[in-house]
Amino acid sequence: MTEHNRKNKNGAALLARGKRSIFRSQWFYLLCAEVVIAIITGIVNPRFFTTSNLMNILEQIAVLGIVSSGMTMLIISGEIDISVGANIGFSSCVMAMMMRGGVAPIFAVLVGISLAVFNSFLVGLTSRVFKAPSFITSLAFISVFEGIALAITKGSFQTIYGMFETIGTSRLFQLIPLSFLISIGAYLLVHVLLSNTKMGRRVYAVGSNPTAAFLSGISVNWTKLGAFLFNGALVGVAAMVLLSRIGAAQPSTGSGIELRAIGAVVIGGTPLSGGKGRILGTLFGVLLMGLISNSLNMLRVNPYFQTVTFGVLIIASLAVSVLSTYRKRARVKAVSEGSVEQ
Amino acid sequence: MEQSATIVSLKEITKIYGQHRALDRVSFDLFPGEVHCLVGENGAGKSTLIKVLSGAVTPEGGEIFLSGKAVRSLNPRQAIEMGISTVYQDAELVDSLSVSDNVFLGDERTGKIPLMVNSKGQLDQVRQIVDTLHMNLPVGVLVEELSASQKQMLQIAKTLYRDAKVLIMDEPTSSLGMEETRVLMDLVRTLRSRGMGIIYISHYLEEIFEIGDRVTILKDGGYMGTYPVSQIPVETVIKKMVGRDASMFFSRQPVEMGQTQFEVRKLARGGMVEETSFSVRRGEVLGIGGLVGSGRSELVNLVFGAEKKDSGEIFLGGKRVHVRSPKDAIRAGIALVTEDRKKLAMLGGRDIVENTSLVHNENFKGPWIDAREEQVLTAKIVKELSVAVQDRLQKIEELSGGNQQKVIIGRWLLDDSLVYIFDEPTKGVDIGAKEQIYNLIVALAQKGKSIIMVSSDMPELLSMSDRIGVMRNGRLTTILDNDGISEEELIRHFIGVPNAGGEQG
Repeated sequence: MTEHNRKNKNGAALLARGKRSIFRSQWFYLLCAEVVIAIITGIVNPRFFTTSNLMNILEQIAVLGIVSSGMTMLIISGEIDISVGANIGFSSCVMAMMMRGGVAPIFAVLVGISLAVFNSFLVGLTSRVFKAPSFITSLAFISVFEGIALAITKGSFQTIYGMFETIGTSRLFQLIPLSFLISIGAYLLVHVLLSNTKMGRRVYAVGSNPTAAFLSGISVNWTKLGAFLFNGALVGVAAMVLLSRIGAAQPSTGSGIELRAIGAVVIGGTPLSGGKGRILGTLFGVLLMGLISNSLNMLRVNPYFQTVTFGVLIIASLAVSVLSTYRKRARVKAVSEGSVEQ
Repeated sequence: MEQSATIVSLKEITKIYGQHRALDRVSFDLFPGEVHCLVGENGAGKSTLIKVLSGAVTPEGGEIFLSGKAVRSLNPRQAIEMGISTVYQDAELVDSLSVSDNVFLGDERTGKIPLMVNSKGQLDQVRQIVDTLHMNLPVGVLVEELSASQKQMLQIAKTLYRDAKVLIMDEPTSSLGMEETRVLMDLVRTLRSRGMGIIYISHYLEEIFEIGDRVTILKDGGYMGTYPVSQIPVETVIKKMVGRDASMFFSRQPVEMGQTQFEVRKLARGGMVEETSFSVRRGEVLGIGGLVGSGRSELVNLVFGAEKKDSGEIFLGGKRVHVRSPKDAIRAGIALVTEDRKKLAMLGGRDIVENTSLVHNENFKGPWIDAREEQVLTAKIVKELSVAVQDRLQKIEELSGGNQQKVIIGRWLLDDSLVYIFDEPTKGVDIGAKEQIYNLIVALAQKGKSIIMVSSDMPELLSMSDRIGVMRNGRLTTILDNDGISEEELIRHFIGVPNAGGEQG
């Protein structure tokens, strides 16, 4: 092995930039799949390529995208929160009830987001304090959040038609859904956080090797709790967007989104074991899910099979990532054996 | 040779791991009713020999005889059927089951009602075994309530119930106190008188001379001979354990030492490290030696704040520093290069830049990452330590062991610390990288840093240290000036027989 040091403008030596083939990136495969699906659907049903349909897709994946952004960070940190759906139900019910009670929407939304943050923090806190996997504590909190939401709403639908529609339904230049732009904001925020801040480095470090992180001065507990807080904030925003779009809330609002969000993150190449992953993959994972459900509608496939497709999709993405690790392992092995022989 | 009488006999066994000969033509045999001891330094091949005996690994060369019959290879099942069993420190017991249930685990006795366990019958049988051996072992209580020595008794009782012919005891007394050790020794004698063959491994030579019939000595995987314990002096055993090439020593440059820079007073943590005080001067390398499990890593973890101390004070440059966590230690100017880089140091799956700048970014920077700076710093480390890398996106696990270690050490060089603690700095590192790491440590000393170096590698300790602290049973027993100490003297201190033989040795 040789060193490829080079000088940059200022004379400081830098390591070679290093090129990684895009064929090793999960998002590239997702993009290919998306292009193929779009073309096939477009050929069978030309209505697919109309602007209104494409914008509909973007609108449909906005909430999932916001939830998945927070989930990406959480999963990279080595944790998980499967109560995000119930959290959305709970906090959107609280927002809707406050609005119905005459509270200013902005205030209701702030309370709702704070509640979502608190809920997610609680999931993380119980997990850290009781040293239990967050999978288990968040599983328990699903019932807690759902139960409280049922109790305060008495199980009834909380409609707020006409009170709070702007965020979920308005479109920039009469074209781009505002909710989609909010989700892009969420992706960007998580991206910046992960790549450009100390917090991001901590998240990767505790996900990759918590002991090494601790011995380097990182507080593992606070880093993970930070990821939960952040996840909660995005869940709150998602609840707000969803409430605004539907115009009503009930305890089961948002249920099932946790699985689709985790699915999108995994499809995007972030392993559940943590320490790895990028938000770009999640973005394309979310897009793929929106695209597939839209194109199955366009192709008039039985809606029941759409659920099946989702499962198959996750398995397929696992296959892709396993294959690429195999190739990498073979390479690492060749390299290390080569160095022994010298 | 009288193979007919032996229970087990190994002839010229060779076991190779990669390039390394873990065992090189080692012979070993065991007769019924004898205690055959196995001695050697850390890494001499004792564990590998045990693994061969229990069928866990297959040797590349040599012959194995069981009760005089040659077997081609020994698998774990055959080993168990032959009645070879090993007593481990803690393993193989189910904490939530009772003592008798553990003995019968997987082989439960049913009573009159089918499928129901006959607890009373089991209890009585175990009580019988325990009573005949005069063990202090309550049979009805849960295993989690037992002490370390009682757990060992239980394992022995279990092997007796299974009718074991060969009992392998690997460092059985390392977690026992004096009284418990004495009880265990009595038990071993009882077992021997019942015709059992016992393989006894211990670092503590006094135990071997107390209980052993014969002793086999291993050194760096090589066979140094088997001797009747009554006919070999302790000195000869020690000499055969440690004698080695002078070429394994590194000759370092002397460094001018300054004032005392780092001081630890009465540092302690119950059950791990007894009250320990020491100090290190500027430019000094304090080696810490001792046997595996003597509390060396625990001591440095306490100093670094990775373990909570019960009491004790730490002074840097004459000022007291409060170290409650690694973060406090790093801020104060203490760096710890841990042992076991894979488990304790490497961020697997992350690239070289992130691994190198981990400590710097976390402790000495604001909330934003300066991508340019961290790349410049990484390139600097790569150049200074001549790390063989391809590019900045390379993942740390794709590097060789020596290069990984350099990246990990480099992590601590970006910001000046005052005290550098190295825990096994050259473990699993090839010779070339080893020498670079030694030079680096000396260079740090030249800059006036205080170095604490924990090592199991005797030549490393002797050639690098200005003084050597000896840990034994969680206690820093003595600090020796390293002026012409021999390896034999040092190992005497490790095993706790510093004066046996005196000057004649």
